[in-house]
Amino acid sequence: MSRSAHHRLRPRPARHLGLLAAAALLALSSPAAAKKAAPLAPPSQAVTEAIVDAIAEEMDRALAQLELPGAPRPYHISYKVTEVVVNDAVASLGHATSKKHRHFVNLECRVRVKIDGLDSGNFVVAGAEAIDGVAGTSLPLEATPRIARRAAWQVTDQAYKEALIQLRNKLDARTASGAGKSAPPSWTEVKGMVGEEEVRVPRLESLEDIVGRAERVSAELRGVPGLRDSRVALTSFLERRWYLTSDGTSITDTRRVSGVMLVVHGQAADGQELAQYFTRYGQTAADLPTDAELSREARNLAATIDALGRAPLIGRYAGPVLFEGEGAAGIVRYTLAPHLGGTPLPEGLRPQEAKLFGGALADKLGLRVMTPFLSIVDDPTTATSHGKAIIGGYRIDDEGVSGQRVEVVKDGVLRSLLTTRTPASPTDTSNGHARRTAKGGAFHGTATNLFVTARGGLPPAALKKRLLAEVRAAGLPHGIIIRRFDDAAVTAASEMSRRELLQMLSNADQSLPPPALLAYRVTPDGKEERVRGAQLGEVPIKAWRDVIAAGKTPTVFNFLASTDGYLEHKLGGVDDGFVPSSGIESSVTTPDLLFKELDLRPSTTGLRARPAVPPPGGR
Amino acid sequence: MTPLVAGVAIACGPGGRGGATVKPGPDLPLADRPTELPAVPARIETTTIAPDDGHTPAARSAVLDVMVAENQRWMATLGKLPDPAYYLAYQIVEQRIVALDAEGGALIGDSDETDRILDVELRVGAPELDNTRSLSDDPNGFNEPLPRRAVVPFGTDGPAIANHLWLETDRRYREAVQALTYVRQDQRTLGRKTGVPDFAAGKREVYIGKPATLAFDKAAWEGRLKRCSGRALRGAATRGSCGVVFVLNTAWFVNSEGTELQLSWTTAQLSISVGVKADDGQGLSRLEQAFAQTPDGLPDDVAVDKLIDTVTRDLDALHKAPLAEPYVGPAILEGRAAGVFFHEVFGHRIEGHRQKDDTSGQTFSSYVGRDIMPSWLSVFDDPTLATLNGQPLNGFYRFDDEGVRARRVDLVKDGKLVDFLMSRNPIGASPASNGHGRKQPGLDPVARQGNLVVAAARSVERADLEKLLLEEVKRQGRPYGMVFTDISGGFTNTSAFAPQAFKVNPVLAYRLYPDGRRELVRGIDISGTPLVALQSIRAASREVETFNGMCGAESGWVPVSASAPSLLVEKLEIERSFIPPDRPPVLGPPSLEKGGPR
Repeated sequence: MSRSAHHRLRPRPARHLGLLAAAALLALSSPAAAKKAAPLAPPSQAVTEAIVDAIAEEMDRALAQLELPGAPRPYHISYKVTEVVVNDAVASLGHATSKKHRHFVNLECRVRVKIDGLDSGNFVVAGAEAIDGVAGTSLPLEATPRIARRAAWQVTDQAYKEALIQLRNKLDARTASGAGKSAPPSWTEVKGMVGEEEVRVPRLESLEDIVGRAERVSAELRGVPGLRDSRVALTSFLERRWYLTSDGTSITDTRRVSGVMLVVHGQAADGQELAQYFTRYGQTAADLPTDAELSREARNLAATIDALGRAPLIGRYAGPVLFEGEGAAGIVRYTLAPHLGGTPLPEGLRPQEAKLFGGALADKLGLRVMTPFLSIVDDPTTATSHGKAIIGGYRIDDEGVSGQRVEVVKDGVLRSLLTTRTPASPTDTSNGHARRTAKGGAFHGTATNLFVTARGGLPPAALKKRLLAEVRAAGLPHGIIIRRFDDAAVTAASEMSRRELLQMLSNADQSLPPPALLAYRVTPDGKEERVRGAQLGEVPIKAWRDVIAAGKTPTVFNFLASTDGYLEHKLGGVDDGFVPSSGIESSVTTPDLLFKELDLRPSTTGLRARPAVPPPGGR
Repeated sequence: MTPLVAGVAIACGPGGRGGATVKPGPDLPLADRPTELPAVPARIETTTIAPDDGHTPAARSAVLDVMVAENQRWMATLGKLPDPAYYLAYQIVEQRIVALDAEGGALIGDSDETDRILDVELRVGAPELDNTRSLSDDPNGFNEPLPRRAVVPFGTDGPAIANHLWLETDRRYREAVQALTYVRQDQRTLGRKTGVPDFAAGKREVYIGKPATLAFDKAAWEGRLKRCSGRALRGAATRGSCGVVFVLNTAWFVNSEGTELQLSWTTAQLSISVGVKADDGQGLSRLEQAFAQTPDGLPDDVAVDKLIDTVTRDLDALHKAPLAEPYVGPAILEGRAAGVFFHEVFGHRIEGHRQKDDTSGQTFSSYVGRDIMPSWLSVFDDPTLATLNGQPLNGFYRFDDEGVRARRVDLVKDGKLVDFLMSRNPIGASPASNGHGRKQPGLDPVARQGNLVVAAARSVERADLEKLLLEEVKRQGRPYGMVFTDISGGFTNTSAFAPQAFKVNPVLAYRLYPDGRRELVRGIDISGTPLVALQSIRAASREVETFNGMCGAESGWVPVSASAPSLLVEKLEIERSFIPPDRPPVLGPPSLEKGGPR
């Protein structure tokens, strides 16, 4: 097949690019992997240079010829080929309940059209949200250029037609609202990048190994009094990506993650449903805890459920709250990270959805948005944090732009937001943070490896002392420490009836952070008492101006950020498989954080009768 | 994969106060011009397998013992509570599903997954009135049980399996008690009440089947599918796909009546599909499927080549075929098409629970014992049939999903409606199950078809059927008659809120002109109402054909078959089908332009 047709748009890689890829691999490899070189996964059999060439030829043809009479031609076309290989397993009480190997290849095409500078992107077509200028299909598991090209032809055609409809609706909506065509540009140009050397990553753990490990660890939870349900899930997956764009980019990247998840459920004396979990992710299994450590964590979770079952329900509270460890990572993840994106809200988004979309910092560049001793950096180019592997890194974001380290907040002042190729102002450019898609088809700026740092951080005892000082100053009987939030993507194991689900749906306030799973009252004498049902009230972005102290020792926490909301997970429950491999790979590194005043209230969600029949085995 | 589709309107309704005295419906104007047919029955030769054939107690799995013990442990307590449970059933289905798919000569899908799914059915109250009674005003089904795909660990470990049975039983009991409080409140406010109970008791059954094994040569099948899909992508086709699905099923069922079942079987399915978009935007496709008990029972390469020839030839012809115009007149439904037609138009309306649901049209409730089709036609459903005229039947099973022994049910005898397909949800006319409560794992069972058979006591040779069609064309003064050789599925509305109409989607429809010329047309649906359609049947062919497929309704997808002779219908109404407002790709296929291989 001749390559001459697309040389103009897709320059061939120079010899040094192989070195670039190797360097990128080294830069993103985990500490564990660096210690002992793990065998590498074999190169892709599904997506070869011939496949990329076939898609490139179709892109060239579409750019040259694709045109409907009277309609604009595509001015930008991009393709993303994603090959995913996953091994995952779930076990309960010593036996697998699910074991799956999956391997698939997808081709996604995005087409943009424009009239008088107004382009089709980032607009939600009322009543037809699926029309967004994006189309996808499957590709064979073995390289077949003929089929790849046909697939590219079909998805390009579909995406083009959708983009035309999207643009027409956008123009109409702007006319109706009086906004006209004048607006910030909807798309920024970038210089094409070439890097076609496949990024090699360590081989996946075998399904047999994963199943065996899940069964061994889950057996620790057999016969434990007070546990209703328990499961252990392990995953090992890799995601190869190829990006091809009409502005000359042809580049590939690979992500590799291993993870483990322990989940237990119980029921309090008053009948309230209880859940606890432990998750760890890394770049390979070498980054995960050992079997012995996992067994210990399993026993810890069981003990926590037992203690929670006897713990009192929290009362209403307004006062200082200290977030420690995973709790600190959680408050960053749920109340700060969603607002760091610099991509404008999709036009046409319903107001109630817009409220939940985040972006509260969009108009605060240059202003103080946090307490002066806090700074934030987001860095997708790093693979470690304080010696631990982190999983939010990548070479290239989902728009084919290099990931860049971004200083978001410096000494409390907002310096920059996480941006994509959909700009908020004419001067915006992408800093390589396109990861999350939303209605309207655009990628939105999303946190990757988020680092919160504090000047003058205190040791744990001093921080707790500071909390108690605030408690005394406010005349409160106690303060609150939160050490873990719920993650419904992990714990949702709905035991609810249809009516209970409906009730939850109608009562839920989706603007709140998830409930805290580990919360403690701490009295002025320093004694801690575990409480349950702790639900934070709304945490507005301005609450971050009132962080009054921070810890010295950072917590490094990896997670998969689900694209579904808390309520959606709760409603859906855990379906078969319980795959712990979906979501955006992310990490937060943060010190403990003390907020001056937040509201908490008791949550009685999940209150139900205790079983009429005791569990089998007389537990 | 889904050639038979039941009307989703079925799933939208409350009800349950039916079964009261039903007034007879008006007489149907049957056969005002009876056609003289030879008293030679259409050929039906069958083999059956008795449900308990192969009972092997030594093959009993310890899983059954765990299920029995947990069931008894719960019932020992629940029977004594203020809201007593009177029935508890457990079903665990372990399914290994192997799916291989190839497209245009390359493997595109390869999965091999095993799941164990638990379903718990728990009834609180009494058979006369329990938690499953539909509320009079609950259009969204808020009071219905929430099916949940509960999981159970693999293996036979007692404590592990028992814990998961316990979890789901606890949820179901809590849900059932809550639902019953709403049912009781609803009943207190109703002026009109029914005496028909909610549940029919069953007899204890014990059957232990030997564990089946699934054997296949994966590499060989990958090669065959690649070859198949490569060959299928020819002519007008822009899509050529071949796929297989091999399933190893093992189902364990116990209930509080003492039934203990262990069933294990394999199924294999081959699909060959081609498609193209017509110039006016209509999606055209042809699908041929083959079903067998094992992968080795599927067609060999020679037979596959013939199927490929059939679908590609048909697709090429469809691509060139003109759009048809609306039409009313005589038509022949050829064997497989007639089978699908009966499945949709008759079979779904004869499912017992629809006679009970106030929101259902209850088309046949008032016609028991009365003529609904010509006296030379009979219809039965028999899940114990293994083959018909040598062809394996997809709707075979030994026991239904409520633990009831499968059996033949005569639905229409000599033209008279005699019975309904029954689950354990009784109706006035049929107070007991006849072994047709079916579902896919994770859903609640309702009455469904198994192997539906249309038997004609009088028949003519196939060629003579066309002569009769042309005579009818002439008598009605029509320019042509219609011949339907394949129907992909359809929709039958059984909801009382909409007309009791059906619509089925012919894939291959021909005009047959008086000079014998056949012309393929496209873009049409057959529509009508069931009572009129059935009484319009005028003749049947001697040959009987079978359609094997999967049928979807509110209890999910279940394997079925429908066998029928070709039928001459005096009048069928044809209407233009919906053609989506789309257009073919702006650019031509890439390789065509280059003149390269497709």
